Amino acid sequence: MIPSRRMSAKQALAIICAAMFIAGFVLAQAPKAAAAKKAAPPDPGQSPAARPHPKQATTEPYPAAQVQAGELRFVSQCGFCHGRDAAGGESGPDLTRSELVASDIRGDKIGPLVRAGRPDVGMPAFRVSDAELTSIVAFIHTQASKFATLSGGRRSVDAADLATGNAADGRGYFNGAGGCSGCHSATGDLAGIAMRYDALTLLERMLYPSGRPAPGRPNATVTLASGQTITGPLAAEDEFSVVVLDPQGARQTYSKDAVKVKIDDPMSAHFTQLGKYTDAEIHNVYAYLETLK
Amino acid sequence: MRRARILVLPALSIAIAAAQTVDANKLLHPPPDAWLTYHGEYNGQRHSRLTQITPDNVARLALAWTFPTGQNQAIKASPILVDGVLYLTTPDNLWAIDARTGKQRWHYRHPANNAFHIGHRGAAVYKNTVYLTTPDCHLIAFNAEDGRKKWDVIVADSNKGYWSTNAPLVVGNHVLVGVSGDFDNVPGQLKSIDADTGKLQWTFYSTPPAGTPDSKSGGANPDSGGATGGQMWTTGTYDPVLNLVFVGTGNPTPVLNGAARPGDNPWTCSIVALNPETGKLVWGFQVSPHDTHDWDANEIPVLVDADFGGQPRKMLMQASRNGYFFVLDRTTGKNLLTAPFATVNWSKGIDSLGRPIPNAAKEPSRDGVLVAPMESGATNFRPPSFDPQTGLFLVSAQDGYGIYFFKPEHGGYGWAGADYNIAGKSFLRAIDYHTGRIVWNHPIGDGAGTAGVLTTDTGVTISGDNRTSVMALRTRDGATLWHQDIGHMENAPITYELDGKQYVLVAGGPSLYAFALP
Repeated sequence: MIPSRRMSAKQALAIICAAMFIAGFVLAQAPKAAAAKKAAPPDPGQSPAARPHPKQATTEPYPAAQVQAGELRFVSQCGFCHGRDAAGGESGPDLTRSELVASDIRGDKIGPLVRAGRPDVGMPAFRVSDAELTSIVAFIHTQASKFATLSGGRRSVDAADLATGNAADGRGYFNGAGGCSGCHSATGDLAGIAMRYDALTLLERMLYPSGRPAPGRPNATVTLASGQTITGPLAAEDEFSVVVLDPQGARQTYSKDAVKVKIDDPMSAHFTQLGKYTDAEIHNVYAYLETLK
Repeated sequence: MRRARILVLPALSIAIAAAQTVDANKLLHPPPDAWLTYHGEYNGQRHSRLTQITPDNVARLALAWTFPTGQNQAIKASPILVDGVLYLTTPDNLWAIDARTGKQRWHYRHPANNAFHIGHRGAAVYKNTVYLTTPDCHLIAFNAEDGRKKWDVIVADSNKGYWSTNAPLVVGNHVLVGVSGDFDNVPGQLKSIDADTGKLQWTFYSTPPAGTPDSKSGGANPDSGGATGGQMWTTGTYDPVLNLVFVGTGNPTPVLNGAARPGDNPWTCSIVALNPETGKLVWGFQVSPHDTHDWDANEIPVLVDADFGGQPRKMLMQASRNGYFFVLDRTTGKNLLTAPFATVNWSKGIDSLGRPIPNAAKEPSRDGVLVAPMESGATNFRPPSFDPQTGLFLVSAQDGYGIYFFKPEHGGYGWAGADYNIAGKSFLRAIDYHTGRIVWNHPIGDGAGTAGVLTTDTGVTISGDNRTSVMALRTRDGATLWHQDIGHMENAPITYELDGKQYVLVAGGPSLYAFALP
């Protein structure tokens, strides 16, 4: 009836497109990334976490005028989230360290993402011409190459910076006061965790799992008026509705007026823990996780 | 030729002055069919006396019209309404819109520029002129009737790292314009521009450059180790009786490197009271001495005349990005109350002046410290509202954590460090200003909220959640009375009465929606 409905439908389409794109990307990239890490074991003295900048799939230089045009557009259209230097802002990730950017070849991955947006994480879809897109891609790649050559530059957090904790104390906290072992196991879900993430990502995900790959979704149980019960991964929730993925992965929306909803969110324990940790405990648990190779 | 046109304009404008004049008196006493400043009124309460929409009928609100801007970015502005015309902004754009139909009357698009396009808060009006700030720090005056440009002045050098998102505050014939810029070590400045001519009247520096009078921070002199920054990027408030303008100032630069700028770094992260005629500081109160977490104190300084501790008081209230709620005596700047309104872990307590005492152990470090609030803050640019009926201060608040890093290799320029948001949960929160006690808490979702708050005399609160809903709540207890899916809200709603009908205007994503009772 009202335009917002039409907008919602458009948004839904954008979400589906973005989800398909991201899913496609994860499927296509995940095995390759894993293989790359297996094929090139790092110096045994060096944690795999010490690789802050992913290697760019292509390092071809772009014409200066194109980079400049891209900068103009990037700063005005993308900079409010990703920072005007593409190295991260208040709400958008650092693109100079992005795996997606690293694996992009002349916009084949950045392009579709820019045009579809990522509504699930608040990134809108952008209407840009091919020329504009090419210039934005040129700027992002140029920035990624530039930042990769800076050691210890602004914003950088290196693995060595984080290595201040005591792994034995961290293990004690993990299995004791921290209560981590209530859900996690060093030989189960966390086996080899230090091999899977760079140092900063490991620390961030230890504190609160987010980003990609996505942590397990909370489980929602929806009881319909008929008494029928539907259980599935929670895709979204607000005060008024709950969106649950059905067995085919499609989003099913239920109005909370009409159903009863119970959500089991394992991530809530991480949030509670943020209010309990001392900084020393954080660095100790992190040091312990770094031993799980 | 350009000069000739400027000379002719005053003569032309006389003809339409009767319909368009927003004079000083009207700004002091806005009629119900207007929303003349960013806050609606000088006191910044965002509280309307209109009574047509009530808790009993608000559920029947229906869409009257929409105005899609066609932009990528969400609307973060509050529209201005004068004589049936709305003025709406996004970075580089100003629209005049018929408030009865939502149809565009004129549109100005500023030339493309590479200044920071983080958002835009709104326009300002005076007499028959509409004022717009641009990302590249122009202040442009337009003829309200047809959008013709009257003059265009530059208020700061965007090539040095300034940009502007500011909704100017008009006081008398002063157009007060603030800028932003914390990626570079540049002094914080607020300028007063002559409303008629565009000429500079005065500049107030929150961190005066070395050598300027009243320099307290050491300013921009690299040899002094002093702070820069303290930008005044939100719209201040004004007390006509005290003749004082109140403005919040931003974080110091370098942002995360506190060692480069020892001491409290006044007047960064502060509330300052200025004389609008001269720009002179009358008093300052620092809400975050020696900030190292990017917690601008730019949140709206709301002015309230009411009882405090058994005495009538002229107060100023701010729910600040650092997680503390402050009540000040606005005549003197003396603190009456400081209380946390969100999760905080960075302070060792409150000093004798009512300022939180920063805990050095929570300054950014090489291996990282977990800090609450996170960088985006316990609240931020989204404006709060004060409801005089209940004495509640309503604010979109976030309980959250970030991790902050600094090492000497990060240097002393601009950000000078790294920080990452970890997790947060948001709430609309009602604060009892007498005590700081949280009276109710309405969850609005994970992450930072972005919707501002409006209250009305009938006890209705309008705001939004973190997904796509605009909501009406009962002010007394926060119960939900109505909601509508409009897209993500990043502005604060406004309300006015036109042709006997009360409208609520609110933006969802890049579109503006007008709601009214059928």
